[in-house]
Amino acid sequence: MASIPLNECCYRLNHLDKSWDIETYMANGGYEVWKKVLAGELTPQEIIDEVKASNIRGRGGAGFPTGLKWSFMNRYAPGPKYILCNSDEGEPGTFKDRDILRYNPHQLVEGMMIAGYVIGANTGYNYIRGEFWEPYKRFDQAVQQAYEAGLLGKNILGSGWDFDLYTHLGAGAYICGEETALIESIEGKKGQPRFKPPFPASFGLYGRPTTINNTETLASIPMILAKGGKWFADLGVPGAGGTKIFSVSGHVEKPGNYEIRMGTPFKDLLALAGGVWKGRKLKAVIPGGSSTAVLPAEKALEMNMDYDSIAKAGSFLGAGSVIIMDETTDMVKALDRLTWFYYEESCGQCTPCREGTGWMHRVVHRIYTGKGRPEDIDMLKDVSGKIMGRVICGLGDAAAIPVASFLEHFEHEFRHYIEHGCSIYDRA
Amino acid sequence: MIKIEINGQIVEAHEGDMLIDVADEAKIPIPRFCYHKKLSIAANCRMCLVEVEGAPKALPACATPVTDGMKVHTRSPKARAAQKAVMEFLLINHPLDCPICDQGGECELQDVAFEYGNDVGKYSEAKRVVPDHDVGPLIATDMTRCIHCTRCVRFGQEISGLMELGAVGRSEWMEITTYVGKSITSEISGNIIDLCPVGALTSKPFRFKARAWEMVAHPSIAAHDSLGSHIEVHTYQDKVMRVVPRDNEAINETWLSDRDRFAYEGINSQDRLTVPLAKSKGQWDEQEWEDALNQTVELLKPHLNNPDTVGVLVSPNATVEELYLLRKLLHAHGVKDIETRLRQIDFRLDEAAGKPVAPGLVNTLPEIEAMESVLLVGSNLRYEIPLLNLRVRKAQLEGARVRVLNVADYPFTFDLEDKVIADPQALVDTLKVLVRAAAELKGTEIPAGAEDAVVSEQHQAWAKDLVESGKATIMVGAMAQQSPLYADFVLWSARLADLTGATINVVPQSANEVGAYQVGAVPANGGNIDSMLASDKKAWIVVGIDPELDTVYGARLKQALDQADTVISLTAYDSEYLRSVSDIMLPIAVHTETAGTFVNATGDWQSFKIASAAPGDAKPLWKILRVLGNLLDMDGFDYVHADEVLEEAKAQTQSLGSVQGDLAIPARTCDKPVVLGEWSLYSVDPIVRRSEPLQKAAGAARPVVRSAIEADEIVLNTPAGPITLPNEYDESVAPGVVLVPMGLSETADVTLTDVSVAAS
Amino acid sequence: MSHTLRHWIKTFGLIELFKGLAVTGKYLFKPKITVRYPEEKTPISPRFRGHHALRRYENGEERCIACKLCEAVCPANAITIESEEREDGTRRTTRYDIDMFKCIYCGFCEEACPVDAIVESRVFEYVFWERGENIMTKEKLLEFGDKHEQIIAADKAADAKYR
Repeated sequence: MASIPLNECCYRLNHLDKSWDIETYMANGGYEVWKKVLAGELTPQEIIDEVKASNIRGRGGAGFPTGLKWSFMNRYAPGPKYILCNSDEGEPGTFKDRDILRYNPHQLVEGMMIAGYVIGANTGYNYIRGEFWEPYKRFDQAVQQAYEAGLLGKNILGSGWDFDLYTHLGAGAYICGEETALIESIEGKKGQPRFKPPFPASFGLYGRPTTINNTETLASIPMILAKGGKWFADLGVPGAGGTKIFSVSGHVEKPGNYEIRMGTPFKDLLALAGGVWKGRKLKAVIPGGSSTAVLPAEKALEMNMDYDSIAKAGSFLGAGSVIIMDETTDMVKALDRLTWFYYEESCGQCTPCREGTGWMHRVVHRIYTGKGRPEDIDMLKDVSGKIMGRVICGLGDAAAIPVASFLEHFEHEFRHYIEHGCSIYDRA
Repeated sequence: MIKIEINGQIVEAHEGDMLIDVADEAKIPIPRFCYHKKLSIAANCRMCLVEVEGAPKALPACATPVTDGMKVHTRSPKARAAQKAVMEFLLINHPLDCPICDQGGECELQDVAFEYGNDVGKYSEAKRVVPDHDVGPLIATDMTRCIHCTRCVRFGQEISGLMELGAVGRSEWMEITTYVGKSITSEISGNIIDLCPVGALTSKPFRFKARAWEMVAHPSIAAHDSLGSHIEVHTYQDKVMRVVPRDNEAINETWLSDRDRFAYEGINSQDRLTVPLAKSKGQWDEQEWEDALNQTVELLKPHLNNPDTVGVLVSPNATVEELYLLRKLLHAHGVKDIETRLRQIDFRLDEAAGKPVAPGLVNTLPEIEAMESVLLVGSNLRYEIPLLNLRVRKAQLEGARVRVLNVADYPFTFDLEDKVIADPQALVDTLKVLVRAAAELKGTEIPAGAEDAVVSEQHQAWAKDLVESGKATIMVGAMAQQSPLYADFVLWSARLADLTGATINVVPQSANEVGAYQVGAVPANGGNIDSMLASDKKAWIVVGIDPELDTVYGARLKQALDQADTVISLTAYDSEYLRSVSDIMLPIAVHTETAGTFVNATGDWQSFKIASAAPGDAKPLWKILRVLGNLLDMDGFDYVHADEVLEEAKAQTQSLGSVQGDLAIPARTCDKPVVLGEWSLYSVDPIVRRSEPLQKAAGAARPVVRSAIEADEIVLNTPAGPITLPNEYDESVAPGVVLVPMGLSETADVTLTDVSVAAS
Repeated sequence: MSHTLRHWIKTFGLIELFKGLAVTGKYLFKPKITVRYPEEKTPISPRFRGHHALRRYENGEERCIACKLCEAVCPANAITIESEEREDGTRRTTRYDIDMFKCIYCGFCEEACPVDAIVESRVFEYVFWERGENIMTKEKLLEFGDKHEQIIAADKAADAKYR
């Protein structure tokens, strides 16, 4: 295995001492792009072109091309506009943004400034997950430092451009990671997704045009502009440029965040993380966070870590949260825990998700506790199928996909539970 | 216009219309729960999912705008699958308690489940149970039945303007509830009962009383404010069981105020008088109608020889037919003092005009809704005419500037652009300043009386807005009408309206106030209730009111009744007071028990038919009057049907004075502190006063005086001596103003023509 | 001619009489199925639709919840119900009258009842001495139910598996 280049973009400073300090960041080329932008050396259109050239796709899970998203905004439209950063990283298995906020907050600050400049927003909000107290303090400190350095505020560096950045701590709801629920939450309302259309680009925060990007996306922007879109695009594969942080968790020797190039084979990522722990065999992988479909080992081992390849294998890159399960994993128990999460976190707004997540959890839990009935498997397939595509936001689908995929690949384990009241590993 | 195809049927639509509206128009059924035509789109119930060709998923019809050439299937396998799936989800946690649910039989969930539900439920786990909270005396909750459509929440946010209900919690534990420990206090809260598609919010007074299918629905007209909201009276065994709104875009849209909705409990009150009673030797005897009417004629006849000594006080909620026959009967004998304006103390306007000047709305309600600038003069509109307040609120939400001149800083359900809170005299002065400011703006001559006014920037802005808004109106409310300076308020408002081009709407308060003027149930001789009480009346006829509570003449009226030789009461209710002053009491029917007509604020004659049976021997007043006419050997009293009376009344409407700025009135000032009467939502007429649930509700009157005077008690001088009332220190009341709650037994002696603050 | 002759033989040969006596004789020796009511009674089906009863739960609580479905389904309009909220907040009848003169004993009320409150028992021997007794009030129906609960419960249990 050739050595794999690590930490080239968002995590590039993580190895340094006090990497979250503005001095460390400035010493490593930080805010240079922002200064160039303010000096007028980079026009908004040039920035968009560069971002488009970089082939970066949204890192939050949906994978929408960022350059295209920005181009929806009319920079010169009158009235306020907003740039929001989605750091409400709540999906089980995902912890990539936390380390950006902790170790490289300034790069995110710079990314938000640039994005705000491009879309014509003078105000930015970073919505940070409620449980991220330490990252919140770090980021807030970075914002203060940027204000003190004169890089934020009114008439920044004499350019005539104003930009204010606010840090918003959530209150611990998974749903607020959905962009319109996040907007509602910032507005002080109950975090519930809005019906779309209208999309945030036309009717967002306080009814104004708004762009929302993921933390990793925004944190990548300064590097893209510093080194060029082509550099970034070339790091990855056609159709998906750059590097991607993969949060590897579960049954591996060295769980953690690994920022590697798009298209790296899954095998290599697994090796980076020290392989399956205790020398056991790989059983299954959830490649993109709990709401993406689970893949059995044989499929996972053949895929590369990029959008197309994972899609070909039958799942989704999502937020790059790789959950590794070894051969001893009880898939019924795993699904029991996952369905409980979605049951707990459904916002309650629309019917199929509100009622369906509870139903699915109760049935899975019944199977897990040995009270399953033969018809339960068909019922689970039926219920998850009835949720999909009939909800307001993507999180209803997110709740249904794990159930459907676990049953697709590991139905025999569920059957065993129903027939024998115990896991296939229990030799009762 | 564009064309779309629904289930193969070509339907015309406007670009951007929501699919569900287009389908409704074409009578293509799409099931729905959260969608309501008067509320914003939530798209959260997902029941209206339909298949749109080209869309990968089923789309909610309520939130999908139509585009040209769109092909929609509402009953294709894909659409049906989506609808059935949502139905199944809705039902898993919905209790199967239809037999004890008041919504059973008129439940949207039941209806839709009938078509889209499965025969057998697959869900076998425990169901959700939600604890109930007491949200007040009008609305019963069974939140376990809630399907979270949020119609009630949106109603609070968007229509009533009070967000009293909200959704807390998430997932299955999402609950619709009030703020911790709070109840629902809105004056139009009953509408959420209609909005709720299931039995989660039901009517508390109606709880478990009857079933939807066994009641008879009678279209009728509401009788407790001047709008004449269209209602349906639901009766069971000829008894009113409940009242619900009937759609009418021009008046009440789909809403109904709580007062009109729950007042029926007063109709079913135990206090109803059910047999004619006559007093003989201090004893009350039950009478047959024939004897009672003969006795009435005998009591009346001696006084008819001297008609000026007969005074008649009639409820302004009596029907056109009743008022007309009363006038016809008494005018023929020369009795001219028939009065319905029981709460007015300033009659200078009539004197100046030489004939009665009637209030009325010159704008229709949709016009008021489209106003760009509104000036409210002396009005607590929200508690006077709740549904008119909704129209002003809608105008405000659309950007209209609403400014108020008020004696107290009343809580409105919308944002005010500006306000002046002062005593009546200062408010009239402010109107003069505005008139001057408007005259200056227009460059016209400054009207006499306004020369001394000093115009400030604030006043200029007010006047400018009235002048420059294409659509502006000045609305004079009850607090102005019942003040000693009513004529000043109206005249200066009218002058301001003339100068600025705004319309002037003097808001009538009672159901048939306008009708009473039109059929001549106001003194035809230039008199009024004040002059009637000042003259020495020997006989009084009191119709449809509690005389001690329904006027602002308290002790003066009581004394007059005490001193009279004869008092004839035609009343729906038995009361100790009426027994103490009357010589004969005849039981009359209330508005749901008679055919009749009300003329509403905008001048529409709205007829209604009998909906319920009068209790015992009570008879419709028009029939009683008809027989009295016969017994008095009068011609033209041979009506068979109320319609005949109406025809005649219509043909004989009176000529009335109009609200004009060029009248001249004698000046009047009022001493401070000014004592003003305040009618709470639920003290306005005998029926609502006897509606128990309303008396327990938030809008009920309390025997407490409000003022900005720091005192625990206030002593008021009345013609019957001083009375002491607890005082509530309230900074929102203008200095120099004392607000006395009217319509309460505690304040029955308060006489607003003759009242002063003795001590505080 | 032959017709007259046949008629003559029939009339004077008493053929019809003997035919009739033959039938009588046949039945004279057959087993008897007549019962001597009221000393003797025929067996009654558990589905027999006789006198109505209102049932209670085992804890003594009346079953009827005033849903009025029986009133709605009654083809003869024999049932009249008035209801109200009882003090404990439950939905109860304040009046439950069945006019036994109107009733056609179709059993629809029993079918409609979601809580098995109104039932038709196997009791059919009842008379009314005065006009007005034909109105079975709630009290009478409950009392009747209490009196016959055992047999009603047994009848319902016997029929339960066919429902």
